[in-house]
Amino acid sequence: MIAFIVRRLLAMIPTLFFVSIACFIIIQLPPGDFLTSLQALAASSGSGADKAAMDNLRHQYGLDQPKYVRYVKWIAGFPRGDFGYSFEWKRPVRELIAARLGLTVLLSVLSLVLMWLIAVPVGIYSATHQYSGTDNTLTALAFLGLSVPDFLLGLIYLFIGIFVFGVSVTGLASPRLADAPWSAAKALDLSSHLFWPALILSLGGMTQLVRILRGSMLEVIGQPFVRTARAKGLGERVVIHKHAVKVAINPLVSVMGMQLPQLISGATILGIVLSLPTTGPMFIRALTSQDMYLAGTFLLFLALMLMIGNLLADVALAWIDPRIRYR
Amino acid sequence: MMDSTRIARREFFRRSAIATAGAASAVYFPVGRIPLARAAAPAAYAEAPLLADLVRQGKLPPLAERLPAPDDILVVKPFEEIGQYGGTWRMVWKGPADFHAYGRENYDPVLRWPRDPHGPIQPGLAKRWQFSDGGKTLTLFFRKGLRWSDGHPWTVDDIIFWWEDIETNKELTAAPHSEWVVNDTPMTLEKVDDVTIRLKFAGPNGLVLQELAFHGNQWPLNFERFGFFAPAHYLKPFHPKYTTAIKDYRLFNEKADDLNPERPAMTPWPVSVYRPGDAKLIAARNPYYWKVDPEGRQLPYIDRLELTLVENNEAVAAQALSCQVDMQYRNMDLKKFPLFASKAKDCDYRVIRWLSASGSQLFFWPNQSYDGDPVLRKIFQDKNFRIALSVAIDRAKINSVAYLDQGQINAPTVVPDSAYFVPAVAQMYQEYDPKKAAEHLDAAGLKMGPDGKTRLRPDGRPLEVTIETWLTGGSADLDAIQLAASDWSAVGVKTAVKTMSRDLYWPRATGNAVQIATWNGDRGIAPFVDPIYIFPFDERSWMAPAFGTYYKTKGRQGEKPVGALAEMQTMFDQFKATVDRAKQVAIGKRLVQMAVEECTTICTVGLVPVPLIVKTNFRNVPEHYTQDWIIMSPGNLDTVQFFFKKA
Repeated sequence: MIAFIVRRLLAMIPTLFFVSIACFIIIQLPPGDFLTSLQALAASSGSGADKAAMDNLRHQYGLDQPKYVRYVKWIAGFPRGDFGYSFEWKRPVRELIAARLGLTVLLSVLSLVLMWLIAVPVGIYSATHQYSGTDNTLTALAFLGLSVPDFLLGLIYLFIGIFVFGVSVTGLASPRLADAPWSAAKALDLSSHLFWPALILSLGGMTQLVRILRGSMLEVIGQPFVRTARAKGLGERVVIHKHAVKVAINPLVSVMGMQLPQLISGATILGIVLSLPTTGPMFIRALTSQDMYLAGTFLLFLALMLMIGNLLADVALAWIDPRIRYR
Repeated sequence: MMDSTRIARREFFRRSAIATAGAASAVYFPVGRIPLARAAAPAAYAEAPLLADLVRQGKLPPLAERLPAPDDILVVKPFEEIGQYGGTWRMVWKGPADFHAYGRENYDPVLRWPRDPHGPIQPGLAKRWQFSDGGKTLTLFFRKGLRWSDGHPWTVDDIIFWWEDIETNKELTAAPHSEWVVNDTPMTLEKVDDVTIRLKFAGPNGLVLQELAFHGNQWPLNFERFGFFAPAHYLKPFHPKYTTAIKDYRLFNEKADDLNPERPAMTPWPVSVYRPGDAKLIAARNPYYWKVDPEGRQLPYIDRLELTLVENNEAVAAQALSCQVDMQYRNMDLKKFPLFASKAKDCDYRVIRWLSASGSQLFFWPNQSYDGDPVLRKIFQDKNFRIALSVAIDRAKINSVAYLDQGQINAPTVVPDSAYFVPAVAQMYQEYDPKKAAEHLDAAGLKMGPDGKTRLRPDGRPLEVTIETWLTGGSADLDAIQLAASDWSAVGVKTAVKTMSRDLYWPRATGNAVQIATWNGDRGIAPFVDPIYIFPFDERSWMAPAFGTYYKTKGRQGEKPVGALAEMQTMFDQFKATVDRAKQVAIGKRLVQMAVEECTTICTVGLVPVPLIVKTNFRNVPEHYTQDWIIMSPGNLDTVQFFFKKA
């Protein structure tokens, strides 16, 4: 098992290297650079932001160097934890992204947990009570959840918050606690603000899981080993939970690896709609203003999170299913 | 569906207009003349309870030691009433690119734009000034005993530091800004004493007072990189000239930045808690602030500003609608006015409308120096053609479709609230008259083609022009552009619209590659500190960017203009060299009039109001006001006298 994990970890290094090249190329694809967009912004508010002034800044930021030099400089800083400089925020990238990455991970993990906590019992219930009234209702709800995009749910949440309850639903902290030092009250406040976005974010994946688990359970329940278990006189609870679910859950774990990218892109859009201090809004802003090192680093970290997520999914699968471990 | 909501909005505006103004169809909003800020010196001084506590604890020197010399304290007359201390002014902003959201409350330059745009330039850090040597020398007398927000004395050495180590330092500023350069020669500074300095120019400088109100602020004004002074005592250790261990200017730029909480300032609310990327920016009152109210109470009244970071205007509205703002004047969309009004009672705020200082929300410029097609260029240079384009536009329709009937028809360049307003030409070429357009097009030699739809150019090809714009999608302006394009096509000028991102548009437009450029109009109150929309001033004057470049570079680059545009450039040379304000205004009015008569800029609908949310108890805010970024609105209203009224 350990050898399996180490092997997978080592395989990530060349992948990351190629991803970093891809990221660097992608963020430089649009014409111009940060300073052309700054110039358009600054020049509309007075003269002086002409080409000479911009070339001056371009030199200062090292944007006049060839692309490969910039790439090597950028990548060479990684081992030191230096991810380059953000032109827009005038700060090293590392200082900007640390807190936001943390919140993004927190939000993604929270929605993943919510997704599983709700999807697994619902899926099992649907399968064991196939075509019952509850199953049909849940199926209808699942299709609804699958087809409504999360940003729309975000907007509905915003609307209900403002016009029904008259409370602030944007951001992650209540106004009165925003500058307070960390305390139990503030942590509670944060989790209550995170809960709804996490739930909204998890809804799409959750309904998908419910459908998969339901199908997979139905298939497993009909298999001979389940009948054997019942014939042995085991209780229904043990038959379902110990024998059937353990087998039926396999496809769910593989799906988890694929759900992470969805979660992350969903979190980006939802972050913008709800003004969450996650990576999403800053990432989009960096892309539009061509703040290349910031955008590139975000892209790289999102790719890294994806790889780690995939790795975790593989490990979980290997843990549940010995056949994979020994292959 | 769409139509019914639009009508509902319009109906809403109509009713609210009746309720507030008493008449539904006034041509202009009544513009209240806002009284000037000066008042007599008070007998004794007082300070905010917050600061008094710090003094008692020994953390701050007593008030008398923090204020300037008694005769030199600026007394600000409140707009409505004497205020009360305390409170946090909550606002929403969109990050460093939206710097003005913070900068405008903290507008404190050497001299100030007056509250009433017709009034003269007001004293600021400098208490008075004197021209000598026929306008070639300006002596500035600063207040004695001014202090930076960290308590360090402010002296004219802070100006000299900016001039020698920032403005004329090629690493930080490619070339000194044009406002400090006369006849190709940068100004020279002469220190008289700690609070007096002489600015010497190569020729009379009639614009310098306005420039000191416009860009006389602490350097760098964020990405705009304008200024007139900087805290030498704080910044020298980060400047490579004074600290050899420092090799480049990155740290210097970071430390000088307006949002750096460590940086001392002369403004009412320096930034106190903020790291780039933070969800909140907090700015707390400056204990060394140098203004008082007529009762001698140190300003500002409000204790702190709190700006919440959001991503877009929708989120600004969401914050406002969940009662999270006290006074918000930026990034508020007109179309959300009814929505804001619907929460006015729940959140206990007023929704007021300030006019925007745009002669037209949207400008069109046929490029008279266009070099992509000599025939088109000739056509664009024909005044008949430009007048035809102007009278071919159905402005009432644009106003109705794009601006909810809230705009007003007003010729380009300046608005009624400006000192340069010329009533005689305010409606020139604004009437919708396709027949007249056809006559002018015929007079320009552009005969209708055989298909009866498209006119022909002198070389026999169909007359086709392209509007280029960066205003993409969802915007009311795009509706306005499409409507104008179809109006032009209807009179035989086949018009295509090309939208692109601002990054792509900007180099094309300044590079003289656009046939008909567009941009949002502004600068309608005090246009001459950056007169790009009046005549070809530089590459951003899209009525003829190449002629503008010629003017800016004194003929080294670009193309020599002829006719009226050349004449206007000469007139502006006179404007700059005229120190007498009355004479200067007369020249300015002639320039404005000429720009309208020449029809260099084609406009749609202007003076579109901007909705503001103001808490009911947030006082001293005028309801009738024309705002513009040049006068740093609401900075020129003295934000320090805004206050929360306790019940």
